[in-house]
Amino acid sequence: MRFVIRRFLLFVAALLAISVVIFAALRILPGDVASVMAGLNAPPERVAQLRSQMGLDRPLTVQYFSWMGGLLHGDFGTSLLTGRSISSTVAMRASVTFPLIVLGLVVALAIGLTLGVVSTLSTHAAVRSVFHFVAIVGGAIPALWGGLLLILLFGRGTGLLGILPSQGFPEAGWDNFGSALTSLVLPALTVGIIDGASLMRYTRSALGEVMNSGYMDQAMACGYTRRQAALKVGLRLATPQLVSVVGLMFAGMITGVMVIENLFALPGIGAGLVTDLGNRDLIAVQSELFMLAAFFLFVGFLVDLLHRFLDPRLKHAVQGGAQ
Amino acid sequence: MPTNSGAYGENDATDKKTTGTAGNETAADNTRSTGANGDAANANGADTAANLGTEANNTASTDETLNAHVKGGSSGNGGKPGNKKKGWIWAVVAVVVVVALIVAFVVVRSNQKASNTAAEGHKADSVTVGLKLAPTNLDIRNQSGSSLDQLLVGNVYEGLVARDSENKVVPGLAKSWEKSANGTSYTFHLNKGMTFSNGDKLDADDVAWSINELMTKHYHDSESLMNFKSVTATDADTVKLDLTAPYDNLLWVLACRPGLVFDKDANYDMKTQAVGSGPYTVAKFVPDDSITLKANPRYWGAHKAKTATIVLRYFADDNAAVNALKSGDVQVLAPVTENLAAPFVKDSAHYRVAAGDDTDKYVLAMNSKGAKTSDVRVRQAIRYAIDHKQLIASRGGADKPLGGPIPSLDPGYEDLTGLYPHNVAKAKALMKEAGYTPDHPLELRLTYANTYGTELGDQLRSQLKPIGIDLKVDVVEFSTWLQDVLKNKDYDLSLVDHNESHDFSQWVNDEYYYNYSNQKVKDYYNQAMAASSDSQRDALLAKAARVVSEDAPADWLFNYRITTAMKTGVSGFPLNLNQTLLPLYNVTYRTSVK
Repeated sequence: MRFVIRRFLLFVAALLAISVVIFAALRILPGDVASVMAGLNAPPERVAQLRSQMGLDRPLTVQYFSWMGGLLHGDFGTSLLTGRSISSTVAMRASVTFPLIVLGLVVALAIGLTLGVVSTLSTHAAVRSVFHFVAIVGGAIPALWGGLLLILLFGRGTGLLGILPSQGFPEAGWDNFGSALTSLVLPALTVGIIDGASLMRYTRSALGEVMNSGYMDQAMACGYTRRQAALKVGLRLATPQLVSVVGLMFAGMITGVMVIENLFALPGIGAGLVTDLGNRDLIAVQSELFMLAAFFLFVGFLVDLLHRFLDPRLKHAVQGGAQ
Repeated sequence: MPTNSGAYGENDATDKKTTGTAGNETAADNTRSTGANGDAANANGADTAANLGTEANNTASTDETLNAHVKGGSSGNGGKPGNKKKGWIWAVVAVVVVVALIVAFVVVRSNQKASNTAAEGHKADSVTVGLKLAPTNLDIRNQSGSSLDQLLVGNVYEGLVARDSENKVVPGLAKSWEKSANGTSYTFHLNKGMTFSNGDKLDADDVAWSINELMTKHYHDSESLMNFKSVTATDADTVKLDLTAPYDNLLWVLACRPGLVFDKDANYDMKTQAVGSGPYTVAKFVPDDSITLKANPRYWGAHKAKTATIVLRYFADDNAAVNALKSGDVQVLAPVTENLAAPFVKDSAHYRVAAGDDTDKYVLAMNSKGAKTSDVRVRQAIRYAIDHKQLIASRGGADKPLGGPIPSLDPGYEDLTGLYPHNVAKAKALMKEAGYTPDHPLELRLTYANTYGTELGDQLRSQLKPIGIDLKVDVVEFSTWLQDVLKNKDYDLSLVDHNESHDFSQWVNDEYYYNYSNQKVKDYYNQAMAASSDSQRDALLAKAARVVSEDAPADWLFNYRITTAMKTGVSGFPLNLNQTLLPLYNVTYRTSVK
């Protein structure tokens, strides 16, 4: 319990520090939303008028604390450009991005875990090196190129086997469940295959490490075959390491799918962040970054907890250290 | 995994009681006493950790664990490891199969739907148009950017007057107008029976209110309504607008944003909603993604919507846009780069590709007060050195060369491409005179927004190299460009697509980022704005444009022409000016019967 509380306090402290960093870093960027709104031909007075209307002429500390004050009340603010509440905008974008990430992760796990285990267990050196090659090549595919390839193969209208939509998200969103799901299939495959290849490498190395340890020898000494030992004992021992990797992968995908969202014209979090930043809609950007940072930290926090749950040895090590 | 760990725990616990060695028992005891509140899992963890401690213990305890496993394996669970494994695999296979079936079913069904609609050979109820630049909000009174004009002017909001596809002023809400003899007073006669989409009446009060609001609150583009004095509703159908001095551009300006008429009684959030008098209403607006327009059932005028629903979708990525047209997600794409449109040109059975005229001027501004570019010889040399034909050819060939600040759709156009023909020898001579050679080049920085791609910068760098200019290309975000170039005028060369029409006043504004100032140009321009006839005005503007071009404060790389690609069966889609003025009421899509 003490561990959980300590972790949580760290989590809050990190969030505070991050809010300052985000706020300050964004203020260094050249350009502001008022000049973007005023455009090419507006006289300077018009820009100044917009700045004061939007409260951009207030001192930075006042702006920071009014933002923080809002955050404490759970109010992420209103975008200066779109006039919509930032939390609802992010929620709308997240309804595209999160299902995409989860689907991508499912694909990655299906590919990565299976192939990783198979390639570790394979007794043929040739098979192992083929898998090794696949992992390296798969992991090296740029997401953009991989996505284009999938579009060329399966995209409706363009592909050899044109069965899947490759552009955009249905207007009705998840109310139109079938179209929404199918529109995420190709993007999820793109993310999943590439991350699956790297997950395969992690699985191999994690499992490989365990396979070379005494545990395996003893498991086998007790009558397990090599395969049984790997699946029953080895995977169990490799799990904590894999959970960390998958956790990080999950968090990393939020920004990682940015390119994919652009390629498949999906209105997700990454694509939205780029647009808002380009427009210098700083209130929106800082709240969005803050949410992302909080999410990253939260996933890290969860992974830590899960880690301890899955690997009880850690807990004792910490306690032993404390004594 | 959980079953495994459970097995560990149980077996360990039982083992400790029955077969544990002395050493191991003490270790287990120790942990029990230190972790006073330790539960079973705790003890188990401690046990394993302790086992790692010394080799002796290690052997002892793993033996134990393994014994446990063997025991577990032999006693009752005997068949289970295999079964469990198989069960696991079967579960995965089942899940995969089920997911695949669902996906396949959905895909097949949605494909059937798509082909069903395609097979019917009648007018589609809905047309989807792919565009590039997305509006961030709908507040046309405050938000700059041609994407809002494109979307709203003439479709949702209407102006006192309008402009046609040749960029000429035509009647709008006002069916006719008169100009006083001295050119300072205009009287507009409005149509009768006009309504807004919310049912409110639209009359002269709304017109006067809209223009007064524009001027007092300094909304976007209010500065283009020059010499404004007052506007009043003399009766329900008549509006009188007075100027302090003649302003020839007035009608054209009123055909753009300053002339738009809003409902003075309506109260709504202009960023997310729109209440206008045009043939369409905004049914749904997803920022940066799409806008759904529905026919306005209360529309009063002659431009009744022919298609009930028009969806505008915005594609930041050109390839994504092309894929959307290929896959049938959109029926029209504007603009499309010529190079990407090539496959559609070939497939003329299914697609039509056409280029339209526009007022986009790709302006390579050369800071007239810049430390390195204030020397007119350098600026002239740059103009001689640029091979416009090559630039245009590499983009596909549809764009037109442009030798000065006024494009063909604007008043005062004259072909000025002869002023600075491509002539590298002359350019080299001028640079030498100014003190630079390819061996001692002049270093210049070109700053432009990343929306225009990197090719233009690369081409300019290689074209300017032989005359002794070392061009550093700085591709930045648009907002950065606004700050550095437009606001701070901190640049050598800049490149922007100035797509505005009737924008010659930029060259008489000393404060503008060009840093250009010439009294002769100002005189011509002011005379033109006070001219008594259109031909006189055009002649004066042409003179002014010629002087500007001769002074070489910029090079006009080309007059961009929009390429539009659409499915055959689409008709009524405007080609000219469609990035700033896109009347959609006439658009229909008729699928061909096979």
